[in-house]
Amino acid sequence: MHRREALKNAFGFASLSGAGGSLLAQSLQQPGALPRRGGTLRIALLGLDTSDPHRHTGSIGVQQVFVETLVSIGDDGAIKPFLAERFELSEDGKTYVFHLRKNVLFHNGRTLAATDIQANLERVRDIIKGGWLAGAMSNIAAISTPDALTVKMVLTKPFAPFLNLLSELWILAPESEGWNSTIRKPIGTGPFRFGTWQPNVRFVAPAFKQYWQPGLPYLDNVQFELRGDQDNSLSLRAGDLDVAVIRSDKVAALRADRIEVQLLGDTTWYFLSFNNRKPTPLMQDRRVREAIAHAIDKGACMNFIGGKEALVSNQPVRPQTFYWDQVVERQDAYGTPNLAKARELLRAAGVDPARHTLKVISGQFDYARAEVQMVRRLGFKINHVALDDIGTQRALATYDWDLAPSSSGPRADVYLRYARLLSNGPSPMLWGGIQDKELDALIATAVASPSIGQARRAYQTAWKRVMDKMYTVGIGHAADMIGVGRRVRGYRTGFTWSQNRVDGGLARVWLSA
Amino acid sequence: MARSWFSWHHLAYAMVAVSLLVAACGSALLALDPLEQNLLSRNLAPTAAHWLGTDNFGRDVYARMIAGTRLTIVVAFLATVLALAGGAILGMIGCIVGGLLRTVIYAAFDIVRTMPPILLSLALMVALGVGTSSVILAVGIAYMPLFAYVARAVYEREMASGYVSAARVIGAGPWAIATRHVLPNITGAMLTQIAIVLPRAVTTESVLSFFGLGVSPEVPTWGRVIASAVEFAEQTPTALLFPVLALAMLTLSLAVVGDRLREHFDPLRPAVEARA
Amino acid sequence: MNAISMLSVAMLRQLAKILSIAFVIFLLVRVVPGDIADMYAARGDYDAHSVTQIRERLGLNESLPSQFGQWAQHAVQGDLGESMRFGTPVGAMLTGALPSSLVLAAASLLFGLTLGLTLAVLGLVYPKSRVVSCIEALNIWSIAVPTFCTGIIGILIFSVGLKWLPIRGQMLLPILIVGMDVAGQIVKPLYIELKETSNAAFVRTARAKGLSRWRIAWRHILPNSLSVIVALSGVILSGLIGGTLTVEVLFSLPGVGSLTLEAIRGRDYPVIQASVLALAFSVVLVNLLTVFLHRLIDPRLARTNGITS
Repeated sequence: MHRREALKNAFGFASLSGAGGSLLAQSLQQPGALPRRGGTLRIALLGLDTSDPHRHTGSIGVQQVFVETLVSIGDDGAIKPFLAERFELSEDGKTYVFHLRKNVLFHNGRTLAATDIQANLERVRDIIKGGWLAGAMSNIAAISTPDALTVKMVLTKPFAPFLNLLSELWILAPESEGWNSTIRKPIGTGPFRFGTWQPNVRFVAPAFKQYWQPGLPYLDNVQFELRGDQDNSLSLRAGDLDVAVIRSDKVAALRADRIEVQLLGDTTWYFLSFNNRKPTPLMQDRRVREAIAHAIDKGACMNFIGGKEALVSNQPVRPQTFYWDQVVERQDAYGTPNLAKARELLRAAGVDPARHTLKVISGQFDYARAEVQMVRRLGFKINHVALDDIGTQRALATYDWDLAPSSSGPRADVYLRYARLLSNGPSPMLWGGIQDKELDALIATAVASPSIGQARRAYQTAWKRVMDKMYTVGIGHAADMIGVGRRVRGYRTGFTWSQNRVDGGLARVWLSA
Repeated sequence: MARSWFSWHHLAYAMVAVSLLVAACGSALLALDPLEQNLLSRNLAPTAAHWLGTDNFGRDVYARMIAGTRLTIVVAFLATVLALAGGAILGMIGCIVGGLLRTVIYAAFDIVRTMPPILLSLALMVALGVGTSSVILAVGIAYMPLFAYVARAVYEREMASGYVSAARVIGAGPWAIATRHVLPNITGAMLTQIAIVLPRAVTTESVLSFFGLGVSPEVPTWGRVIASAVEFAEQTPTALLFPVLALAMLTLSLAVVGDRLREHFDPLRPAVEARA
Repeated sequence: MNAISMLSVAMLRQLAKILSIAFVIFLLVRVVPGDIADMYAARGDYDAHSVTQIRERLGLNESLPSQFGQWAQHAVQGDLGESMRFGTPVGAMLTGALPSSLVLAAASLLFGLTLGLTLAVLGLVYPKSRVVSCIEALNIWSIAVPTFCTGIIGILIFSVGLKWLPIRGQMLLPILIVGMDVAGQIVKPLYIELKETSNAAFVRTARAKGLSRWRIAWRHILPNSLSVIVALSGVILSGLIGGTLTVEVLFSLPGVGSLTLEAIRGRDYPVIQASVLALAFSVVLVNLLTVFLHRLIDPRLARTNGITS
């Protein structure tokens, strides 16, 4: 989100996001019920990969309860001030000024100051160097702290995703053990502290009694169950877990057992990519790609993946959100399956599917098998190689394949959806390793747009190019689902996996008796 | 004891025979395509159209069971044969040549045996990638030590026997002794061991599939069918029950056959082997 | 050679074995395609440059001998390094995982032994009863039905249906399931062994003297079969420590099995090496213990054989 609009939003929401807002939200949830203090919430979402928040590798839901950021993404996807009370952006879009809240305490009792923000930014830029925030940091020309509660950042050029990326730049106390290498005991400002961590097993976060939002948190402890390969629905129903991520096909059983199911705000995007780096002669023929696209039954796929709540779409952003376009959706030629047309296209291209074996690489997901089966209906022979995380990554990087059915989880900024379509973007293999200078230019335009209206148009143009070139076929969106146990009160999912937001999160959760 | 188990043994033989028969001409018994997905009729209980119901992809469970018979037996059999070949041959060579080679070979098998077979197969699968040939290789390697140890036991037993000492007195070389005296006697022990390892190979394959590291997702071995059904056990218990029953009956029959073979060929062998 | 020197020779041989296992595993894990940097790339938004940096930071670009040398040097001092994936000390991860596995293994073995022993003796004393068919059934059960099937059915019945037991972290169901598996493995060979012993001369003598069947079983047959029991337990125990993987996964038990599985999936070399070493150590320990117990039992056997009471 950018510029003037962002500023107006920020101002408007800043007033709501104090303690008053939390109580208001509380009474809306459960009129008449006062929060009960104490207890341990057992929650199973994503994992925790490192004790050094700046070095995370993608799953941030857990660490957000003990470290916070200048700004956070609200429940509607808009940027809201968090540790910053308010922020301003210059006319030319290059200078950001953040005004910090007063009396925010770190877990060791020290007050948050502007110099801490600067230290964190510099750490990401200088010590961590690589990864997630590299793009954002490389755009910063200068950081300064005019006074103890003000931070000023000057960028080299306008960079639209900057604020959203800042929502993942965690602020820690520089005295945290391991600051110059890998932090072992992170000292943050969050409502819970970094307690004991058994990797891949459990992480316990005890409450921080001097949290800057008064009266919060209600819970004594949050216990994160980190093991990923479980069927959490059974644990929810047995009362073992209070909050857990669940698969869509377990929803009916859960609701029957009086377990509430909530959806995340942002969605996981499902798509089918072609090999764009080294396509075989067969796959270079546009008609073959079109035929395959016609064979996919998007509705059946999305129903399989996410049930009734899943949505079909040919765009990388969730339907009914700002960057999505209704017209483009309606004009989707591949919205409904058309096997006849597909076969006709193959005939026109002179292709006899029975003579060709298509190599498909995917993770070990059921939806991939469903999609592969649909392609098989055209008559192609299929060699489907389903590997684990690493295996898939490496196999895709050889560019020795034809199709890759895949998915991509919620992202903090629309830019992150497009970043991988760049010629030298991060992990481009999921999208077939696109190398298209014109596309790069279109995305760069979007990123440097002075207004979100222009950014929207630019992103749309970029995506049109992707569709025209048939690099990848967008199939649909499905939100991840969270089961909420019977004793839990005040839990609301956010836009992303964040468990601690300015307007929501575990700080506001309590357990009934 | 043979008298009182008369009917059991016959039942076991029958079961194995039926399995082999189904494996051989299974496609004739198929009414529906085991690979065909029907996303609209997922997880159904048994109906007239689907005798054993459908799985999570809407595939007919009965068809998958029938098709799976051949694949399950073939995969398990090939894995066992690989284990036999690798274990017995390497083991025998080591015993015959003796000395350093023997120590090295059996030390290697010792190392392999230290890892629990499931963990070892898992690690090998991760290295080799998902696929039927990888499963055969992984399970085969994991069970090689068993055959090697049996080979060594038989070798040593035969070497201690009277006529071998006589042969040595005459001046027969170690290779000649091995081929003439040890090899014929090893068949019995090996057959017994095959009948013991085969059911374990089947179970190991099903555990690998349970962890998502077994044969390719399309290939309907019983292990894969069970693994897919486990997640939806509550919704459609039949999809889990039937393959488990079939698996249990097959491994049981194989075990009983193995028991008989053991009684017939090799009553002196210790009753203890390393477990899956 | 006296007992102590035999023991020390055995121990030295086992130590050599452990060292070679360490080296072999070290090589093997690095043969597996893909490393931890690939996992970072797969999970996050890291571009090619960052991935190279990660590899460098973790020392994965150095030569194999140098890597092994560094690791061995530290390992001998007790420092098993840090997890490449989580950055936490491997020693801590291992000591966190061991209690679960040990308790599960020990309790299952105990339960299985008790059950197996009881059934075998009962079968001996009442040869014409249903007990013998129970023995066969139990044996069949442990061969034919995989533990993950029993596990899922158990969870569905006891945790979800009846709500008697929680799923995560509980030990009761896992111990019962694995214990029954163990019992099934023990009961048949033990029963056969007991029956064979009961055909021995000294037992005929005892029976001729009019001793009750219980007494014979307890005082005469069982002590002679102790060595078989010890041998069986040894083999089963060494199989149990890493072999409880499926149960660990189903019931979310943080044992060595699942630690190793996750490490393999994540190409976390230091953790894989440490777990396999731990497994090797335990197998060796169990073997030594078995040998030691055998030596203890043997002289006693020599004494009780043929003595009437």
